[in-house]
Amino acid sequence: MSASPGRVREDRGLALWLLPLALLCIAVFVIPVFQILRLSFSASTLMKAGKGLSLETYSRLFSSPDFLSIMLTTLIFVVASVALQVALGFAIALYLDHGRSQGYRGMLLVRTAVLAAWAIPGVVIGVVWKMLFSELDSGLVMSLVRLVAPGARPQFLSSPVPALVSSIVANVWRGTAYSMILLYAGLMTFPRELDEAAHLDGAGALRLLFRIKLPILAPLFLICILLVTVQTFNTFDMLMALTGGGPGRSTEVLALNIYKTIFTEFDLSRGGAAAMVLLLVNLGITWVYFRFLKGRAE
Amino acid sequence: MRAHKKKTAPLFRALFALIGVAIFLFFVAPLLWTLSMSLKTIPEIFAPKIVLWPAVPQFGNYARVLQSTTILLNLKNSAIITVFSVALVLLLSLPSAFALSRLRFRGKTAWMFLILVFQMLSPVVVAIPLYRFFLAVGIYNKLWSLILVYVAAFSPFTVWYLKGYFDTVPAVLDEAAKLDGATRLQALLDVHIPVAAPGIASVTILLVVQCWSQFVLPLILLDDKNLLPVPVGLLSLQSTTDAITTHYLAAASLIGILPVLVCFVVFQRFIVSALTAGAVKE
Repeated sequence: MSASPGRVREDRGLALWLLPLALLCIAVFVIPVFQILRLSFSASTLMKAGKGLSLETYSRLFSSPDFLSIMLTTLIFVVASVALQVALGFAIALYLDHGRSQGYRGMLLVRTAVLAAWAIPGVVIGVVWKMLFSELDSGLVMSLVRLVAPGARPQFLSSPVPALVSSIVANVWRGTAYSMILLYAGLMTFPRELDEAAHLDGAGALRLLFRIKLPILAPLFLICILLVTVQTFNTFDMLMALTGGGPGRSTEVLALNIYKTIFTEFDLSRGGAAAMVLLLVNLGITWVYFRFLKGRAE
Repeated sequence: MRAHKKKTAPLFRALFALIGVAIFLFFVAPLLWTLSMSLKTIPEIFAPKIVLWPAVPQFGNYARVLQSTTILLNLKNSAIITVFSVALVLLLSLPSAFALSRLRFRGKTAWMFLILVFQMLSPVVVAIPLYRFFLAVGIYNKLWSLILVYVAAFSPFTVWYLKGYFDTVPAVLDEAAKLDGATRLQALLDVHIPVAAPGIASVTILLVVQCWSQFVLPLILLDDKNLLPVPVGLLSLQSTTDAITTHYLAAASLIGILPVLVCFVVFQRFIVSALTAGAVKE
């Protein structure tokens, strides 16, 4: 517009383009994070802000057996979900990649079926799996179990350990698509000739997979594991509909615990302290992820 | 090329097909079961043995759900939230991503890290202080304030993803546009957005799916039954139903996910390329 704007002035103009979003993010992320930090060091309830700062909430939190068991549940839920999602996702990716290279039909159908789960809201997945795990005689999973063990009365959702297992199964169903598509994309980067060359050498598909493909894909696996781990830590929508955290607290993961502590127990400082724990987990994983990406770019 | 294919034994091919059927069934069966449940009668739900498919599909269940639940209202709310959020996210993220791609400034790495942190942050952490703040200033329980939070929540990912796309557009194009006397804005509109069109399309689909699924933010920031989007609406429907109305809950669930499922199947290609490019690119 003006005659010939200098580069500096032009850059300053461009920096202004960042401003609206930066302000919004400060309002929605930065200020709330500092508030929750402050709350976690005070004695507050949902409706009443406490005065003064103390470490009391944290010492109460970390010495409470409830919180330790919630952390254990969270850890089991996250580790099992991530491991199974990545393993199953990679297996399906290998399957699809092989089918594609052989020109088999039906691969798109399989891919669509896997991915569809990923497009469904977590609450709906919880509702759907609660129906599947129905403990009525007419339940689907119940009937499948009885094919193998007639007369069995498994308590899929009403007994602590099975409830956690059921939650993990439903979560694996939900999240496998993400790992699958990420690793599938990685597999597609290998030239088709690689498979043919290996075949002519008599190297075998398995040796090709373990000696060449897996080492090359290792960074992608790490990216995948980190992203899936963060997602699994952060969500509780499916669990809310599937078990509500129960029975007792057997499926109450950290994110769900934060919500319940604040909105059903109205304990703002304790919920805030638990939220800080989740925040630190988020930050830690983000840091590893970022360092890794930077290292790869250089 | 063909030689490799011929050597595959028929037994292996049969096994391969069988595995495909197993994967397909594992992922489709829950949805088919929900469809079957939604068409059942109450005696069929409580039958002593499994009823795979109702003897006479009760399509009336759907009519009943549409009349007696808030699902249509939830759909409308979800549509409003999704359309406005996605449009605003793109409007704010496109220029920001472009600026981040073209600007060189000190501390850029730190800014990129911050964007990533925003993306990874659990919504439940920020929703609590926002809830108190919204109550205090009187914007709690409003769709527009919720939409602003959605915009903030989904922009970091979008900026990160689009920046990766703009980075691949050679700087030569910028220079050429500049020689033609184009401003930065014109260059963005005429040169970069068309080049990045596939990326924009894919990120749009991802945003639609994520906005539709979002649960924590509306759960905490909305209260009015008439404003709830599909996930929160279904959860409250679930809490007010018992086994006797399972078939209605199944029907409502399917109605609630129909728009995203259709959108997803039609645009699947874009989602696949979005997922594959978004996470890997720096």
